Amino acid sequence: MKNLLLALGLLLSLAATAQDAKTEGVVTYVRKERWLKITNRLTFLSQEQKDRMSQTFKNWAENDKGIKMKMSFSPTESLYTYNSDEPEEGGYSWRKSDLFLYRNFAKERKIDVIEMLGKTYIVDDSLHVPVWKIGNQIKEVAGYICMSAETQDTIRNYKVTAWFAQDIPVPAGPERLNGLPGLILELDINDGDVLIEAVSVQFRPLTPADLKMPKQKGKKIDDAAYNKLIRDYIAEQMTAHQNPYWEIRY
Amino acid sequence: MKNIFVLAVLCLLNTTLLAQTPARFTLQGQAVDTLSAPLPSSTVMLLSPKDSSLVNYGRADEKGVFTFKNLKSGEYILKISYVGYLPFNQLVKPTGEAIINLGELQMKPITKELFEVVVRTAKAPLTIRGDTIEYNASSFKVPPGSTVEDLLRKLPGVQVDQDGSIRAQGQEVRKVTVDGKNFFGSDPKLATKNLQAEAIQKVQVYNDKTEQAKLTGVDDGKKEKTVNLELKEEFKKGGFGKATVAAGPASNELPLRAEGKASYNKFNAKNQFSLVGLGNNTNQQGLSRDDYQDFRGSNAYNSNQNADFGFSGGNFFYFSDSGDEGLGIPVSGRQGVGFSNNAAGGANYNYDTKEKKLSGSYYYNQTRLELDAERRRNSTLPQNEYTTDENSNQVNFNGNHRLSLRYEKQIDTLNTLVFINNSRYGFGNAQLLRNQLLTRSDGATTNNESTNRSDQRQFATSNSLIYRHKMKKKGRSFAASATYEINTNDANLLLDSENSYTGPIRPQDQQPNIHQDQRNNTVRTEYKASLQYIEPIAKRYFWETFYNFSLRYDEVDRDVFDRGDRTYVRNDVLSLYYKNNYVYNRLGSSLRYSHKGLNVSAGLAGQRFTLNGEFAPDQMAPTFRSINRVFTTAIPNVNLNYDLKKNRYLYGGYSVDVRIPTSRDLQPVINNSNPLFINRGNENLLPQLGHSVNVGFNYFNPGSFINVYIGTNATRYVNQIVYSQNTDPQSLVTVIQPENRSGGQNLGAYTGFGFPLKKTKATLDLNFSTNQGRSPVLINGDLNQTSTQGYNGGARLSLTPVEWLTFYGNANFGVNNTQFSISPNRNQTFINNNFSGELTLKLPAGLYVNTNLNYRVSRNASLNFDQRIPLWNASVYHILGKAKRAEIRLTGIDMLNRNVSVSLNQGVNYTQSESISTLARYFTLGFTYNMRGVQAKMRKDGFF
Repeated sequence: MKNLLLALGLLLSLAATAQDAKTEGVVTYVRKERWLKITNRLTFLSQEQKDRMSQTFKNWAENDKGIKMKMSFSPTESLYTYNSDEPEEGGYSWRKSDLFLYRNFAKERKIDVIEMLGKTYIVDDSLHVPVWKIGNQIKEVAGYICMSAETQDTIRNYKVTAWFAQDIPVPAGPERLNGLPGLILELDINDGDVLIEAVSVQFRPLTPADLKMPKQKGKKIDDAAYNKLIRDYIAEQMTAHQNPYWEIRY
Repeated sequence: MKNIFVLAVLCLLNTTLLAQTPARFTLQGQAVDTLSAPLPSSTVMLLSPKDSSLVNYGRADEKGVFTFKNLKSGEYILKISYVGYLPFNQLVKPTGEAIINLGELQMKPITKELFEVVVRTAKAPLTIRGDTIEYNASSFKVPPGSTVEDLLRKLPGVQVDQDGSIRAQGQEVRKVTVDGKNFFGSDPKLATKNLQAEAIQKVQVYNDKTEQAKLTGVDDGKKEKTVNLELKEEFKKGGFGKATVAAGPASNELPLRAEGKASYNKFNAKNQFSLVGLGNNTNQQGLSRDDYQDFRGSNAYNSNQNADFGFSGGNFFYFSDSGDEGLGIPVSGRQGVGFSNNAAGGANYNYDTKEKKLSGSYYYNQTRLELDAERRRNSTLPQNEYTTDENSNQVNFNGNHRLSLRYEKQIDTLNTLVFINNSRYGFGNAQLLRNQLLTRSDGATTNNESTNRSDQRQFATSNSLIYRHKMKKKGRSFAASATYEINTNDANLLLDSENSYTGPIRPQDQQPNIHQDQRNNTVRTEYKASLQYIEPIAKRYFWETFYNFSLRYDEVDRDVFDRGDRTYVRNDVLSLYYKNNYVYNRLGSSLRYSHKGLNVSAGLAGQRFTLNGEFAPDQMAPTFRSINRVFTTAIPNVNLNYDLKKNRYLYGGYSVDVRIPTSRDLQPVINNSNPLFINRGNENLLPQLGHSVNVGFNYFNPGSFINVYIGTNATRYVNQIVYSQNTDPQSLVTVIQPENRSGGQNLGAYTGFGFPLKKTKATLDLNFSTNQGRSPVLINGDLNQTSTQGYNGGARLSLTPVEWLTFYGNANFGVNNTQFSISPNRNQTFINNNFSGELTLKLPAGLYVNTNLNYRVSRNASLNFDQRIPLWNASVYHILGKAKRAEIRLTGIDMLNRNVSVSLNQGVNYTQSESISTLARYFTLGFTYNMRGVQAKMRKDGFF
């Protein structure tokens, strides 16, 4: 979809009328992973084992309150990471694997710092936009009317449904997804395996600190190498009868 | 603004560069509403008509005007969206002209009703297909128990008349389908009045062809309003079951072997119901872990169960009471020793919603166990040596009814209440025939022949109520709990023991024959209460405070009667009436720091035990001996958990574990059920304190599959509860009594390393551990220190080279050294090595072979003991049918017929070998039917 990227830059004889300042700020998301649903995708488990897990742990899974993520966005840049390092509700503090996803829409570049598989990887590449299919649904997310769009992840082999705001013209989005005519406020991965939902959108001018990437040492790779790493790991784990999604982000 | 500038430059560049290409065109238009008023800044998208994929997008200006320049020649779907309006769609075909101007494009507003009610209030997604709109009905809240009709009434654009007929968008609905299928004929009211609203995921209202048109295939142009109800996935109910029966011929002078097991489960989103039953004479004493999970469902493992609050990160105080079966359903995968016949069965029901969780279960199990044992014991006393040869035959029967109930209520987001009840009624009887021959070094013998016939009934129940309250301030919380437990045991023992002597034994050293009736009635009641308060005193700092109270009341009424030929006399030495209050109070506080995977806490608790008891031979006795003891101690606690980068994990801590003496150890009861080994309780026992330090480290690399762990722990005991022994050198009667002794300690270290030899095909795991212990105990009045040093090493090889073959091999080596300070000549070395291999093969035609061999080597050079036992099991099975729901299996257990339970152990002044005859070789042919299908397990499962 090179032409889309191209298109992004070109044309748009987009009347440069000053939009209302609704293009810069911070979104807070809640990310909920339904691991029982994910377990049901494991090819090596029998139906009996899947049922057993679902029946035994359904209450545990329901109690999962999810984890808060945040994204600073402007029309040209975005940074998606954890909302906070502090433990929620006075509980124990668990370490979160490093995750900083930076996008520069003007320069069409991205830098992702992702800790996985025992290493820190820095994915430095141009901005690739997935093939988005625009749907015919609208709904409200965090007070904004959003349209639906769909794309297929061919590596993890699932469908991703995104809901983007009709009136926040920023191509940013959570996780590694972006490139829609509006800010993505909700992501639904594989019909609810993972749900990332905006809980609040705060418009304010960003400070340099909002978009600051931490100084990270790591192995520099590009998108192709990242995709190969994930693809190989999933195949390997399925062969070894292990759940690959404990160690990589679903 | 920067981006707009960049865009503008890019646009300019592109225009100049690509201007010559004639195949490109410019698309223009204006988004307006139905009154031609412009829709400013609407989003304009160009999609590929093939798959709706996004090709290009932009924004209209403040007049709703948009322009796409330099479009590649081809068809596009133009899509315009504007908040509050139905998205506009139009197919754009190239005309060959350089500029296509679509003019005003009118967008229809979404009716206010739909927009406000459906989108804003119910937060339901709207699906737009042309002019029809669909929405998710599950977003509309209706009270539980409502029908679909009640739900439809709430939906905008739908009216339900008094008689139940439905109108949608003004037209009468002629048909209601469920998941696209007709529901009980054509009357739409049948579905809407009978179906539960909760079960509905989506309501679709659309125009369908008439039945007539469908039948003839000729579209008569007439459309019928149809409502389709889509059911929620989880409301598609489920049910499954499985059953296994297997039997085999008589062998080894035993009658035929048989086993059977069946279970059935039925569930939907809120309810789980299950039944289980099993029976066998192959020593399978209970449910396996999988069976247990299937049986208890969502209630198999619960959080929020602990009513005894304490230092976070473990270290609870506990009363351990040996001898009784627990209140929980027994789960074991192991084969027992001896010969046992087992039966069990139960029912479980769980009801789970977000606010309320209810679970109840009933489970019954019984076991008849026959044990034939031979023991040979060489004992050394300061004065002489003797051997004991013992033969015994024992038949025990035990039955248990268990009930459990759990109720959890989420009162609101801040308050939770949990009630837990577990109860058991057990009954049993046992018959023991025993012969003990004691031979002294001078040849004099004591021969004891005894018969014990006993029966008992036990009732135990534990009830806890836990209340948790989260305060408004994040991190601040409060919890309170109350527990009531009662445990009663009513047991009778008929004891007959006769002694005969040979050789030079003085009459006063000869023990009288015993013919006794012993009636024991014990009651143990316990009341407990706990409080906990957590205060976030600063960001990342939590102050935790707890208080525990416990009152344990023990009462023992033991009446012993000597049975003579014509006499029946109460025995005042053995009879006892005893009651006792054990009060425990603990107040503790700790400070915890939690940040970025580092959790460190340090705290201190003060605890006080008060023991008040009295006892006499009888309730009516004029004088009671009283026991009054107070024991106060301070217990510090330090805990560290550090979750480091790259899957490294460091943990450690210092804690003091407090073990309160069991009721049995505390009661001054003289238990003479083996007249040569008399157990006596100790009413003066104090709690045992164990000061423990531990530290450990784990590492796992998911990329290379390498894992490493290492750790060490040390414990030093104060007032350790140990069992002193005193053997009368003449009569050879041994009295065993618990007492407190300090100075015992234990030091351990362990490490392991696992890595793939070839990823996904071969893995090697190595481990090593060592243990150094010392424990003091009085033996015949002399203080003995028993020191032990154990070293264990193991290797495990997992081979999974191809899909049709797996092999798991284990080798474990163990060396144990023991030294006794008062008898260094008995120092010794035990060697225990174990080798095993398991092979699974998938053969053509759905045939599988599984075989395993276990080879156990036990050696002790100084005792001339060298035992090697190979156990070989194998099974061949075939999965039947297309649906793979049935399996037929031929199994051979212990095919070499070598299974015996033989053990050797050595104490400070004795060495004992024991052999118990146990179920050995047998074969069975079995059949399994599983509604969900049978899957051959080639690989061993981990946790997923």
